[in-house]
Amino acid sequence: MRILVIEDNQTTRQYLQKALQEQGYEIDLADNGQDGLFLALEGDYQLIVLDRMLPKLDGLTVLSTLRNAGKQTPVLILSALDSVSERVKGLREGGDDYLIKPFALSELLVRIEILIQRKGTHSEKITSVLHVADLKMDLLSHRVFRGPTEISLQPKEFKLLRYLMEHNGQVVSRSLLFEAVWDYQFDPQTNVIDVHMARLRKKVEFDGLTPLLETVRGVGYRMVEQR
Amino acid sequence: MVLPPYLKQYVASVTEWWSSVKTAHSVWRLTRLYTGLLLSVVSILLIVLYQLSIGQMNRQQGLQIANIIAQQTLLAEQLSTEQFLEQFELQAQSSRQYILSYQTKKELIGRLSEIPTTLSQCPSLSRFPIWLDQFDELRLVSGCSQSMASGALIIAVDDESLYELKGQFISASAVALLLAVLLGIITGLVFSMRVLKRINSFNQVALQVESGQLSARVAISEQNDEYDHMALHINTMLSQLQHSFETISGITDAIAHDLRTPMSHLRQQIESEILSKRQLNLPTEQLQPMLDKLDEILFTFSAMLELTRLQQQKESNSQYFKTVNLKQIIVDAVDLIEPIAEEKQQVVNIASAEPLSIQGDATLLFRAIYNLLENASKYAGKSAQISVQLTHRGFTVSDNGPGISDIEKQKVFQRLYRIEKSRSVAGFGLGLTLVKAIIQLHNGKIELLDNKPGLIVNVEFVD
Repeated sequence: MRILVIEDNQTTRQYLQKALQEQGYEIDLADNGQDGLFLALEGDYQLIVLDRMLPKLDGLTVLSTLRNAGKQTPVLILSALDSVSERVKGLREGGDDYLIKPFALSELLVRIEILIQRKGTHSEKITSVLHVADLKMDLLSHRVFRGPTEISLQPKEFKLLRYLMEHNGQVVSRSLLFEAVWDYQFDPQTNVIDVHMARLRKKVEFDGLTPLLETVRGVGYRMVEQR
Repeated sequence: MVLPPYLKQYVASVTEWWSSVKTAHSVWRLTRLYTGLLLSVVSILLIVLYQLSIGQMNRQQGLQIANIIAQQTLLAEQLSTEQFLEQFELQAQSSRQYILSYQTKKELIGRLSEIPTTLSQCPSLSRFPIWLDQFDELRLVSGCSQSMASGALIIAVDDESLYELKGQFISASAVALLLAVLLGIITGLVFSMRVLKRINSFNQVALQVESGQLSARVAISEQNDEYDHMALHINTMLSQLQHSFETISGITDAIAHDLRTPMSHLRQQIESEILSKRQLNLPTEQLQPMLDKLDEILFTFSAMLELTRLQQQKESNSQYFKTVNLKQIIVDAVDLIEPIAEEKQQVVNIASAEPLSIQGDATLLFRAIYNLLENASKYAGKSAQISVQLTHRGFTVSDNGPGISDIEKQKVFQRLYRIEKSRSVAGFGLGLTLVKAIIQLHNGKIELLDNKPGLIVNVEFVD
């Protein structure tokens, strides 16, 4: 798994390198847009972490050049705090995800994981029923069963559970859950997602059934099949 | 009674005009003042004119009568009664202008055939009708009687023409005064409306500045009069205000901006430390609270910077506006807050009119609405009723909690302001400021009203 990090700030670059290497990724670094673009075009990366403001060549220019050249490598854009419209611009230019500085490293790691995985799931056949252990979700009839018992969920709870089941085994962060279910791009900053998760848990893990949702401390949640 | 619609409209428009005029106290005051002045001037003019014309004639007449009385008194003293009566007879016959009679105990000599019943004592005059041969008609004359040694002297003068003149003068004066009133009201209204329109433009600007539009300026006309001078001064003052305000917020923003970088590096350091320790299964309990504190600070800085951007760069923020469905956003926000409210036994309901779509940024609007709901849930207390209502021009968020006092209603939109009793609750006093900035970015107005009990936040979008 090779990741290219294009970031001009030395401190941030070093921390990114350290954190990603600890997770077992191989890292290439570039501290300006020009070198970054060259590496991105030449190398074979699973993911590119791209800073929005770069010397020599602006991040968005790097991105659009890359896409025009036919490179479909997932790109995660890092940006200093900017208005929502900036985010729209970045995603429109072909970015796959967008993180606003200062970001939590754990959040970045979760999103990198999800982006790399997503790249791999394109070949999978599209299914209308999701299964995790004895939990079954029918996407067509919008019904959820735990074993023989049907669980009645509110629309947002259904979406929440669906996202978790689709990313079965992967850690998902609170803000990813929020963006996936509500489709607004910001961090609600409170424990509101935890409250939603607690409610969902009660419904899915009733009567002391095997827990399927686990909390990953400091990061988020994960759906686990215990066999 | 059913009124035809055009009449209803007419009545409505007249009523509206009337109420607008009535509320404009100064218009009336100035008009009254102006009309009063005009009336006084016209009245003085009329009085002077009267004194100079008719008054003069009246005095002349009085003098003449007094002269005749004096002359006859003198004659009566110098002549015997016989002689006096004789000369009087002659005088009475020859006098054209004055009708003279003399009443002794025995007879009435002179031109009057009889003495009128009501006759005042000279010098005051009373009017009575007599038949005059020369005109061959009944005429009203003014006269009086003066008692003398041997009888009473009656003098009358035919002042019909003078009397008519008087009447004409009075009716002419009445018309003149009426015209003066009309003229006064019309010109006064026009004049004061024009003046007040300019003053109102000042008020409008003041209101805009109050609501946070520091860029509002008073329009300056070509007349280069006192108002323009005042407008110039006010505009200069506003420019300076705006400049210092921007400088101040610039300074705080610069501080926030410059501190964010070292802080985020600090954050990265602590976090990578935590991650490393976790890899080795070492405890991280001591580091986690630091991270949370740092996150709070960074969040406040970010919110401050974001606020400034929302308040200042309207164009770059609104160029990505799309048509958004406000009702969907409200439903989403209520879905998000709902479990939190449930923990406090609060009920959140949506009362909706027809769906409303506006041009805007869905994420920003969601944040504003969610923030209002969060506030309601935070401060309305246990088992509160919270309701979001779509109106045809926006929405309201209301609760039945303790509400906010009128003094604080003005202040809660200020940066970093926190109500005394809410200091125990987590927050930085930026939420409502951000909400207001978002609403204003969408050409909306936000106001706080009493729900008695509780608070109503009313948001209206203007197209």
